[in-house]
Amino acid sequence: MRPGFSPRGGDRGGRGGFRGRGSFGDRGGRGGFRGRGGGFRSPSGEGGFRGRGGGRGTPRGRGGRGGFGAGRKVTVEPHRHEGVFICRGKEDALVTKNMVVGESVYGEKRMNVEEGETKIEYRAWNPFRSKLAAAILGGVDQIHIKPGAKVMYLGAASGTTVSHVSDIVGPEGLVYAVEFSHRSGRDLLNVAKKRTNIIPIIEDARHPHKYRMLVGMVDVIFADVAQPDQTRIVALNAHNFLKNGGHFVISIKANCIDSTAAPEAVFAAEVKKMGSENMKPQEQLTLEPYERDHAIVVGIYRPAPKSKK
Amino acid sequence: MENRGFLLYPRVTLKINKLRFFECGKQLVSRGDYCVVYVFPPVVFITNLSNMSSFRKALKSQQKNHKERSQPGFRKHLGHLEKKKDYKLRADDYAKKQNTLTALRKKALDKNPDEFYFKMVRSQLKDGEHVANKAKGAEETTTQEERKLMRTKDLRYVELKRVAEAKKIDRLKSELHLLEADGKQKNKHTFFVDSKAEVADFDLAAHLDTAPELVDRVYNRPTFRTLESRSIQGAVEFPAIKKLAKQRKLQYRILSQRIEREKKLFVISQKIQTRKDLQDKNKKVRVSKETVNAAAVYKFEAKRKR
Ligand SMILES: C[S@@+](CC[C@H](N)C(=O)[O-])C[C@H]1O[C@@H](n2cnc3c(N)ncnc32)[C@H](O)[C@@H]1O
Repeated sequence: MRPGFSPRGGDRGGRGGFRGRGSFGDRGGRGGFRGRGGGFRSPSGEGGFRGRGGGRGTPRGRGGRGGFGAGRKVTVEPHRHEGVFICRGKEDALVTKNMVVGESVYGEKRMNVEEGETKIEYRAWNPFRSKLAAAILGGVDQIHIKPGAKVMYLGAASGTTVSHVSDIVGPEGLVYAVEFSHRSGRDLLNVAKKRTNIIPIIEDARHPHKYRMLVGMVDVIFADVAQPDQTRIVALNAHNFLKNGGHFVISIKANCIDSTAAPEAVFAAEVKKMGSENMKPQEQLTLEPYERDHAIVVGIYRPAPKSKK
Repeated sequence: MENRGFLLYPRVTLKINKLRFFECGKQLVSRGDYCVVYVFPPVVFITNLSNMSSFRKALKSQQKNHKERSQPGFRKHLGHLEKKKDYKLRADDYAKKQNTLTALRKKALDKNPDEFYFKMVRSQLKDGEHVANKAKGAEETTTQEERKLMRTKDLRYVELKRVAEAKKIDRLKSELHLLEADGKQKNKHTFFVDSKAEVADFDLAAHLDTAPELVDRVYNRPTFRTLESRSIQGAVEFPAIKKLAKQRKLQYRILSQRIEREKKLFVISQKIQTRKDLQDKNKKVRVSKETVNAAAVYKFEAKRKR
């Protein structure tokens, strides 16, 4: 039997493990990318992960130091989306910088990196459990959730994904986490106790007027309520709280909306519904291999009219 | 000095050169043996030391090992020279085979063409194995109920193991996110643009604001701004990275092995369940046969449970 996947992580045939296809530090005969962009700067300002092209040989990243002691067990690479990182060591994981150092929210693994005097802790963000994480690893262009952003999160459940969103937006940002089940809500409240940028709201997202007093205008609405009328729920909240030109990120589970239709058709129908609510979809992404028959749709709300060039 | 009475009497150890006695009490003495001779006038006792294993061993320590020579140089072209040890193995094996052949040949010659045993009727070849046909009315060793219980216990055990495996898989998956896994399912990324013209000159790298070389690196395609302003942290030296990659590969291998194992346990538990269901005397039709990867499927007649 062939296993479901065969990881390519290692260094077979002389190709370094970390150097995936066209990745940073392309040292072999592959040329790397020199021109614009290059690779990341290395912390010491030389060597490191710049595309070097051609030359082999040992890198002289940091003179003489090195070694493989504490804090050197992982490589942390900044992600396309600010506040998100890729952590590769024994692990191969999407991570966020832990806001509450020393604590896990739902038993996820934490990794430490020492950079000079400062020690930074990261938390693994499981794409098999979080649709947002799955979308990020699936290569979504924009999530609009970034440091300092004000986010409304519909369908917060126990706050697992919410905790990572809270890590991303940081102390300057805010997460309004809406969840109507009291049972999940209890866990959510506990998460919010430790993280001051989360404002838990235990209400039905279909009735935004009930929490109107608690919520200000937001930059992004993220929705994962898994309800047939999800698009309507998001539209209702957008009309109340989303700024013009703000964005929405909606996770669609085809089964929840119509279990008989083909997933593709369901996604298309939802995208069409958004159009009629002043929500303009910009991209759509399915979530394989992490979820089946799921898609994320990202779009803009009441975009400013395009100026004629 | 031992303090046993007769040992105080004079004694001599000697090698028997000329055999004078054939038997001494129960001890046999022959030429070349070492003996202790106790002299109790008027009687003489003899103990044959050569029969005592410790003495024999002690003697061996002095004797020179017999060494077998290897193939002499001038006979080198004849190849390796077999040693006694090897010859012995070969010869024993050969003898054993010959004996078996002779025995079989003899059996065949002695066969009575008219012979009949009842076992010939009562047994049958099944999958190349002789199995006894069950006689009618023979006593069962286990009852239907007992067999069902045994199946239930098997099933519980397999399930227990499967769930344990599934938990370990979950834990591994929580930190192994298949970033560069080969042959993982591809997802579908759609961009909505306003006009046909935009579709025509759509450039993915430009749209994502990233380097064209990074477009295929789906799990992280840093923007130019990120590339310019941010740096990698932690282990950045090559040997360390290489070591980590190796560890990571191992982790992935463990994960895929566990996934395989869990799948197999699942199939096993399904098969046991089917066997258990078949014990019920309900009417049923087989929908599909059992295969390596799947239990057989039966359709049972709906029956009202009281
Ligand atoms: C699929 S789960 C969300 C999981 C979560 N986003 C995560 O990744 O951890 C959907 C959640 O939405 C909640 N939900 C469903 N309908 C809702 C509504 N009308 N208002 C608020 N929450 C709702 C459910 O209680 C459930 O916890």
